[in-house]
Amino acid sequence: MAIAPGSRTAAQAPERPELAALGDDALRVALSRMQLIRKFEEAAEASYMRGLIHGTMHLSIGQEASAVGSTLELARDDYILSTHRGHGHCIAKGADPARMFAEFFGKENGYCRGRGGSMHIADVEGGNLGANGIVAGGLPIAVGVGMSIKAQKQHRVCMVFFGDGAANEGAFHESLNMASIWRLPIVFVCENNKYGMSMDIARAMAVANVADRAPAYAMPGVAVDGNDLPAVVAAARPAIERARQGGGPTLLECKTYRLRGHSKSDRNLYRSKEEIEAWRDKDAIRRLERELVAHGRFAEDELLAIEQAAQKTIDDAVDFAKASPDPDPAQLARDVYAD
Amino acid sequence: MPIEVILPKVDMDMDDGIITEWKVAPGDRVRQGQILFDIETNKSVMEVESPGTGVIRDLAPITGEPIAVGTVVGWIDADAEVGASSPAAAERAKTPSSSATKEDAVGHAATSATPAASVEAATVSPSDSIRATPLARRAARMLDVNLAGVTGSGPAGRIVEKDVAAHAGRAPKSAVAGADRLVPFNPVRRIVAQRLAESARSAPHFFVSAQIDMGALQAALRHPGAPQSPERPRPSITVALAYLAGRVLALHPLLNASIEGDAVRLHARVNIGVAIDDQGDLFVPVLRDVPTHTLDDLAREFARLRAAVRARDIVPDDMRGGTFTISNLGMYGVDAFTAIINPPESAILAIGRTADTPVGRDGQVVLRPMATFTLSSDHRIVDGVTAARFVADLREAIEHPEGLS
Amino acid sequence: MPTELVVPEAGTRELSYAEAIREGLAQAMQADERVFLFGEDVGVYGGAFGVSGDLFHKFGPERVIDTPISELGIAGAAVGAAITGMKPVLELQFSDFVTLAMEQIVNQAAKIHFMFGGKATVPMVVRLPGGSGTGAAAQHSQSLEAWFAHVPGLKVVQPSTPHDAKGLLLAAIDDPNPVLIFEHKLLYKTRGPVPEEAYRVPIGKAAVRRPGRDLTIVGSSIMAIRAAAAAARLATEDIDAEVIDLRSLRPIDLSTIATSVRKTHRLLIVYEGVKIMGIGAEISAMIAESDAFDFLDAPIARLGGADVPLPYNPVLEKAAVPQEDDIVAAARRLVREGRA
Repeated sequence: MAIAPGSRTAAQAPERPELAALGDDALRVALSRMQLIRKFEEAAEASYMRGLIHGTMHLSIGQEASAVGSTLELARDDYILSTHRGHGHCIAKGADPARMFAEFFGKENGYCRGRGGSMHIADVEGGNLGANGIVAGGLPIAVGVGMSIKAQKQHRVCMVFFGDGAANEGAFHESLNMASIWRLPIVFVCENNKYGMSMDIARAMAVANVADRAPAYAMPGVAVDGNDLPAVVAAARPAIERARQGGGPTLLECKTYRLRGHSKSDRNLYRSKEEIEAWRDKDAIRRLERELVAHGRFAEDELLAIEQAAQKTIDDAVDFAKASPDPDPAQLARDVYAD
Repeated sequence: MPIEVILPKVDMDMDDGIITEWKVAPGDRVRQGQILFDIETNKSVMEVESPGTGVIRDLAPITGEPIAVGTVVGWIDADAEVGASSPAAAERAKTPSSSATKEDAVGHAATSATPAASVEAATVSPSDSIRATPLARRAARMLDVNLAGVTGSGPAGRIVEKDVAAHAGRAPKSAVAGADRLVPFNPVRRIVAQRLAESARSAPHFFVSAQIDMGALQAALRHPGAPQSPERPRPSITVALAYLAGRVLALHPLLNASIEGDAVRLHARVNIGVAIDDQGDLFVPVLRDVPTHTLDDLAREFARLRAAVRARDIVPDDMRGGTFTISNLGMYGVDAFTAIINPPESAILAIGRTADTPVGRDGQVVLRPMATFTLSSDHRIVDGVTAARFVADLREAIEHPEGLS
Repeated sequence: MPTELVVPEAGTRELSYAEAIREGLAQAMQADERVFLFGEDVGVYGGAFGVSGDLFHKFGPERVIDTPISELGIAGAAVGAAITGMKPVLELQFSDFVTLAMEQIVNQAAKIHFMFGGKATVPMVVRLPGGSGTGAAAQHSQSLEAWFAHVPGLKVVQPSTPHDAKGLLLAAIDDPNPVLIFEHKLLYKTRGPVPEEAYRVPIGKAAVRRPGRDLTIVGSSIMAIRAAAAAARLATEDIDAEVIDLRSLRPIDLSTIATSVRKTHRLLIVYEGVKIMGIGAEISAMIAESDAFDFLDAPIARLGGADVPLPYNPVLEKAAVPQEDDIVAAARRLVREGRA
């Protein structure tokens, strides 16, 4: 049962503005999504370890706040473009975990009929124009989406996610430049988790922050603690508005950390256990829950209920996926060309 | 509730791994995230973390053998019950050993890498070492030309289509440009042209067809009475049909007859001509007195006649005196056809190809090897019923070839 | 399957290849406001080869868009615009620069429809001026169409005449798949009859430009033109060549070629792309695998680009790709000597 803000005791500190700006409903949605992502990733990992998932996977455990916070205030018909580490973005934009799992298991009723797999999940009707297996692959596409929105005189926004590694690809620079000269309705969201695959960003990038590159393309650049959900929402809000009102693009950098390796073959030789442990303590979900309880926004049992509901949704999703049919090899060449 | 410790998938394309070292002992307290064991895959050695906190037991032994992904290799009791027995032992007993299949697969891969050249070597025959274009080979097949006898005009002596055509005395399909070519009749062609034109002109032809089940005849020919040899060639379907037709003709004299003015000469003997095409020329050597010979006799005689045709030293006597002719175009895939009577005979039997055809038998549809036989008869001598009766008897003889020897 | 002998009706006015493309673009943009043209220098400048001409003035900066020099970025922009309801026509200034755009064309455009289980389509057109003969040398003269014909999910066409340039462009814009149009620089100024209305030349159908009996010569783009000229010369030597203009490389009209080979028994394939591993290699293999194989009376012959980067010197430049004389000599060799 939520406790109304007015009934805070004198001992509680006032809420910071980022939190105060979020109503209970919005927070409930945000927490649900973050838990859903967390449980989803953990279940995906467990399925993978049991040999149920072909290929590899890129998990975003630890990065939930940046996915949920950035997209929380997007409309359903706004677009997102995601990365190879995109399960979180997909769920945050409202994808059905059951169909996502079906896709991971390569099944016919997965989002991509089993043809795309983890790295190419798309939910086009829901505005998710696809995860991308190529680093920075979504950035030029976002430019085209922005051009399309303007040409069709729509009020949609295109939010494109990419990692710190992508910020060094040529496509990043070409895309930010074009988005800026043409004032496209794009929010560029960099999830800086400090590492490309194994390369520490300090060794890979000439500037300290990805957001430092924004002025070079005449757009605002904002860096924010990517594990602090209210802060991410607060940083994304003006960027989304600016884009929607025709003000052009923004570069938002969410500083975060991935608790798992790059992919399932990663032995984490490039970072220390201590480093991983230190970030584990900054877990975005725990942090938010503690803050909400401290300010009397939610009670512990409601938070637990949200967590358990998420777990159930995921358990059901895995069962659905396991029971789904495999694609027919006779249909191998289907959808190579559109009719 | 005990927690399973499974052998996890840690790599793409990984079906199994080997536990190389346990970092804990049975009965140890372990924490979630603590390293329990090292696993070796075909790529590397990786550490595996504990899925829970509690006391660990029933660790799978280190054998150096690969264990399938997902296999339970230990249990953690979260309520710290040390020493309780578990279903783990039974589980491990069921662990499939995948090593054997992997080695087999490797072995098979090695043997199947043997090049296909040896297969080709086994089937090399003399004509394969002759250079000829695909079109030339095709022409050779259709014109029944032996490539070994053809001189090639192409590069490095390659035989091209016009070489085959020239060898067979025909106009080439692949000749380039120029005017039409006028090829005069050779003697065989001249005679055939004359006789068939006359037959078509003077004999009013009518045709009776029947689909006949060849199954019994095929079976009978597959098991000849004695072993085959050059002196004792296996009878072909065509020879067998001549043999059977001969016996049936003996009962139907009007089909073994010739018109002479206002009269019909009913021949005493049955001499059956068998139409042969050799390199584009038509020959009809005659098997004499068919009903008095055994099938083997006929096969031998036919082989002799055929060789004589090929060598082009068949004598006119071998082709004279026929009283009935059969022509088989089945080997060219022809389903059915109507032939022109070979004068002065009164009938000719045209045989099409044998193909599995759905027919009704005892209320069921079954596949039977059926061939279409078409009898052309001269209506001046032969009436419809006469022809029909002959065909009916022929069918009976073919479908029940008892005593075929 | 009947093959058409495509001859525009008499009385049609003549346009240049470049003008025909421009007219096609104008008609497409007029008819459908989702169609737009973008690329480097296509707007105010009128296009590096003058193809877009005055389209910028007719349709304005929102329909004819000048871009920065960002081939990868603009190729991706074409993908993004296409999957969200627009019909972009991207002009890459030289086909050689497609190398910078490979990622978005090969990994994204070609594969999105398949990877997303049929849920998104990418109706984009990329126009690429290619080919040698203008002294532009190694990095500005290549014929790279074979690379893209090798990618499932892409369509690749090469018009050889002004009539086909307009017709294939309009068909490409209609097509829901990504289509690459490899125009040839030396053809921009050639003239020919072009009907005034908006018409389409079907993608995937070759055209028999000249019927013949003695050999089949297959070519596309400028090689189809050179083959036709060679055939006219061969006729005076009593060699009657059938000339097939491929028009499409992917999908390719194997049926028309096979039917022709069954009739003529000899096949000569002429292409500007480097001979080794090129489209001629593929067509040879396709014919050898087809039932036309049994009708071949000589080896299949190919004339392709030399195995060198395109040289600058004009004599060397000509020697590096098949010319009309080469086609005549090869046809003679094939027909009279049975040699490839």
